[in-house]
Amino acid sequence: MIPELKILRPEKLIDLLDLIAPADGATRILAGGTDIIPGFHINSKRFSSIRKLVETVKIPEMHEIKEEDDSVIIGSSVTFSELINSELINTYFPLLVKAVSKIGSVQIRNRATIAGNFVNNAPCADSVPPLLVYNAEVEIANKNSTRKVLLNDFLEKPYKTQLKDSECVVRIILKKIDKTFTGDFYKLGRRRGVAISRITLAVILKKENNIIKDIRIASGAVTPIGMRFTELENDLIGKEITPELLVSSSQKLGKNVLDVTGLRWSSVYKVPVIQRTFYNLLENICLD
Amino acid sequence: MKITFKLNGENVSIEVESYKRLIDMLREDFELTGTKEGCSIGECGACTVLMDGKAVNSCLVLAAQIDGAEILTIEGVNQGNNLSDLQRNFLTHGAVQCGFCTPGMILSSLALLNENPNPTVEEIEESIAGNLCRCTGYKQIIEAVKATAEMSNQKLRNQSA
Ligand code: FES
Ligand code: FES
Repeated sequence: MIPELKILRPEKLIDLLDLIAPADGATRILAGGTDIIPGFHINSKRFSSIRKLVETVKIPEMHEIKEEDDSVIIGSSVTFSELINSELINTYFPLLVKAVSKIGSVQIRNRATIAGNFVNNAPCADSVPPLLVYNAEVEIANKNSTRKVLLNDFLEKPYKTQLKDSECVVRIILKKIDKTFTGDFYKLGRRRGVAISRITLAVILKKENNIIKDIRIASGAVTPIGMRFTELENDLIGKEITPELLVSSSQKLGKNVLDVTGLRWSSVYKVPVIQRTFYNLLENICLD
Repeated sequence: MKITFKLNGENVSIEVESYKRLIDMLREDFELTGTKEGCSIGECGACTVLMDGKAVNSCLVLAAQIDGAEILTIEGVNQGNNLSDLQRNFLTHGAVQCGFCTPGMILSSLALLNENPNPTVEEIEESIAGNLCRCTGYKQIIEAVKATAEMSNQKLRNQSA
């Protein structure tokens, strides 16, 4: 059941920040609602303390996508459909488009928002792996100040982020990456539409004369939260791309995933799939 | 709380309980029962309506969130006393069996056709990927949408000829 609620729709960011400032544990930001509303409906404990919802829909800066010299700024309440239709995002951050195009359905993508996806920090938040490989930064505001943090640090553990009750994510900042990077995103779910991801992987790579100059690898769903594999990345930088390297790095990735998840009943299924997927992704990217 | 919005082309105001979802308000307060509730969690699409021209699941929107918006339900799709071409094509192509998914299917495909008058089969499939049908096997639905696109393009050509 949905409880008796107070729903507020401030028109200015500062008014929104005033409303959440008391940090009373009963006030939550509503940025879309495709998690919170069914969450209420099934009596999810995660939302049971909420009595007041503050909607972001009327606050202009939370809805714009704009280009700056070396970066693109995405308002935290930009919907997935808006991302997919944005020329800027298609040009500079194609993996993000690919990942969010596979989220839910048209109906969900028309409502669900980018920050809503990662503030919930469900392991299966599909926008996270691409945002991680693009080194996304999150701008967070409270009534008195603003801070910026890397998404990688912002996400703490499943369903938990650095965000305090008095704070709101205002924007996501993505630095434009050098055009020579190529990359790909892969999602495995149980059905094509509206499927919760089981495995997601995002990889971008920059090479010169068959040598890896830079590589960034991130997973979602299969790990407890979306995460980067920096050790493996560092290991690969400077190496020559050979079939053996693709095999050995896929094996390492599988092992790294096992290290974070521990052995589970599903490991025998998932680990080979991750290894194979990563191998295929690398192979495609390297052939580019 | 009081909200004002446009419902099937008409301006309306209503005092609505904060715990009501858009689907509850449509069905209970406006008695528009064409919008169906299947899963309540955004998976089946039976509750699809258009909000400012975009397909949304009315089980995932609170009534309070539509203040100022424009809502189209299946009751607003027909043209006067006549079915729209899309509705008629659903009938002639056998795209309606039990009918439970039909309102949602029609609204999802209407949103597509409004934005994209010449959709490919793949685009049609994507537009209804969030709508489940237990009866038809989807093929008839895709054909009905395709036929509607062809009809309206033909009409345009006739007009300009
Ligand atoms: S009832 Fe809304 S998606 Fe199923
Ligand atoms: S016609 Fe029965 S569910 Fe589609």
